[in-house]
Amino acid sequence: MRRPLTFKDRLAALLPKLVLSPSILAVSVGVYLFIVWTAAISFSSSKMMPRFDFVGLDQYVRLWSTPRWITAVENLFLFTALFLAVTIAIGLFMAILLDQKIRAEGVLRAIYLYPMALSFIVTGTAWKWIMNPTLGVQKVVNDLGWTSFTFDWITRPEVAIYCVVIAAVWQSTGFAMAIFLAGLRGIDNSIIKAAQIEGAGLTRIYLAIIVPMLRPAFLSVIVLLSYISIKSFDLVLALTNAGPGSATEMPSTFMFSATFLRNQMGVGAASAMMMLMTVAAIIVPYLYSELKEDRNGH
Amino acid sequence: MSKVTKFLMATALVLPLASTAHAEGKVEGIHHWVSESEVGALKVLTDSLGAKGFTWEDSAVGGLSGANATQALRTRMAAGNPPATMQLLGYEGVEWANEGALRSLNEPYAKNGWEAAIAPAILPFVKAGDDYFAVPINMHRQNWVWANKAVFDAHGITEPKSWDELIAAGKTLKEAGVTPIALSDQSWQILEVFEAILTDQNGTDFYRKAVIDLDEAALSGPEMLKAFDTLGEVRGLVDAGYTGRDWAVATGMVASGEAAMQIMGDWAKGEFLAKGMKPGVDFLCFPTPAATPNFKFVIDSFGTFGNEDPAITAGQDAWVETVMDAENQKNFNLIKGSIPARTDVPVDDFDDCAKRSFADREAAVAAGTMVGGLTEGFAAQPQFAGVFFDVVGQFFVTEMTSQEAVQMLVDGINNAR
Repeated sequence: MRRPLTFKDRLAALLPKLVLSPSILAVSVGVYLFIVWTAAISFSSSKMMPRFDFVGLDQYVRLWSTPRWITAVENLFLFTALFLAVTIAIGLFMAILLDQKIRAEGVLRAIYLYPMALSFIVTGTAWKWIMNPTLGVQKVVNDLGWTSFTFDWITRPEVAIYCVVIAAVWQSTGFAMAIFLAGLRGIDNSIIKAAQIEGAGLTRIYLAIIVPMLRPAFLSVIVLLSYISIKSFDLVLALTNAGPGSATEMPSTFMFSATFLRNQMGVGAASAMMMLMTVAAIIVPYLYSELKEDRNGH
Repeated sequence: MSKVTKFLMATALVLPLASTAHAEGKVEGIHHWVSESEVGALKVLTDSLGAKGFTWEDSAVGGLSGANATQALRTRMAAGNPPATMQLLGYEGVEWANEGALRSLNEPYAKNGWEAAIAPAILPFVKAGDDYFAVPINMHRQNWVWANKAVFDAHGITEPKSWDELIAAGKTLKEAGVTPIALSDQSWQILEVFEAILTDQNGTDFYRKAVIDLDEAALSGPEMLKAFDTLGEVRGLVDAGYTGRDWAVATGMVASGEAAMQIMGDWAKGEFLAKGMKPGVDFLCFPTPAATPNFKFVIDSFGTFGNEDPAITAGQDAWVETVMDAENQKNFNLIKGSIPARTDVPVDDFDDCAKRSFADREAAVAAGTMVGGLTEGFAAQPQFAGVFFDVVGQFFVTEMTSQEAVQMLVDGINNAR
């Protein structure tokens, strides 16, 4: 005979839902409701204050005929590609070096990780001075006697975006290194030994065995770094303030100035939706592959 | 008595007390004055308000040239909890007045005859339709040149009478190894220079047509091309490390003699005075060179938000009177570095730069050559001013030609319409 359900049983059944409901509520209001709200604004003629009318795709047309937005999108792709490639390359290289059972590894690891502890505002301000031709590197080298040395990228619109890349790489490399290092530590030594017995050289071992085995670490680093680059705002603001001209404009800085400084809330919302779609294009396939692997029992 | 009942009773007793304590004799104001001189200047007003029996509740939100304070206001408005008063810049007040959020101040204006005391050019920023919605406290002048007198004397340079002369002087200085113009790549600082050129070369009527009415023929006309050409000449007169420089750092370069001139509003004066320098002795102030003198104004004003609470309304009335009091305007502006918005305040206590500002304003009012500054938001609305920032900022740091700049400007303005 089945035992009648007691209060305790019901509570036990209900408990997971009860515990989860505040965060589900918070996320659905704080994230999804406002995504819907932003989408609604992007189809309206909102200027200073939100207005709920419908003007179709006008704001998107306006957005894509703004040269500054085009610059921002180009910069985003250039920045993301370079930032990811350089950060991963240097981060992996440093992780491999640190993995050679060297002395004082703990200290070195902490030093490499320190930039991560700084806010992007601090990084941006410091690098703004370092790269300023009359204050920073160029002046130091010139004063040392090499007077023809120039490093004035930050003043030149066509290359200023690389300055943002340099500062961002400096900040995030330690973080990539830490993830790769954890991945390297997870690799079974016997595999490497087996490869050595088979006569594989060190380069070959790394390129053909270890790096492919780091695939999960690569995935984490790529996803985390791409979203850092899409939301990069404070770094650009502190380092170049989207200048010179609008040379280092990013979608996030564009969105901010349209919405909050220029009374173009509709255009700002449209740019925010474009950013959301970009993020979704990266995150959704990633989530999909992760969830699929879970189902396959990985 | 159960715990719940006790709690409810306690709440019931406390609540009315809390709300009366909140409403009695307080005036809450949002503003973005956070620097030393600004805080000191505001204290003149709040002390005077205190003497009337009201307490000032300070809600300072600094940063981003007032944009943060504006955001704070919008959040408060969206929550239905407006402050008693707010410092208004540019079109911000006009927008709120059009939304019907601001109280009409016609009564105190009529009673005290304030309309006659302010320059007619600023009316669009304190009056919407038939209603006054704000009281102006001060007036900055945007089109100033600040120069280091020792550097000028050493190279035999005197106050230039035209932009050609100014640029020629700049070239002389550059050859002598002095940075002629202290500037930044921040687009607002470049726009200050550009709009000065535009107005000085073509007169205020053209400025009104192109920048305020956004007339396409004027925007794409030869006057605009010439202004960009002149700005292109200024391009060669800055130093190599001009990126990311704040205006006050640029002022510091002029003060130290590293640079000769800066084109900046009269908030720069405070930087010289703070270093103990004297106008006319250590540094020079003269308007940007124009055939017909003009006066580019920037004002700070206070609007009062509509509400149902008589205690708050009484506080707002006292605040409005405080702001427009002639003595307060004098003392406020002596500290702030600007000149009173009221044109009937005696000039005797002010320094030579401010005296020149007074005199030029009087002349500009008479000649009808007083216009709002584009950079500070007193000409084109923000979405159009933004286009000017973009184009001028990009023009200055690239090799863009004047034709390209004009085309980009026209396209951008049309896109933002």
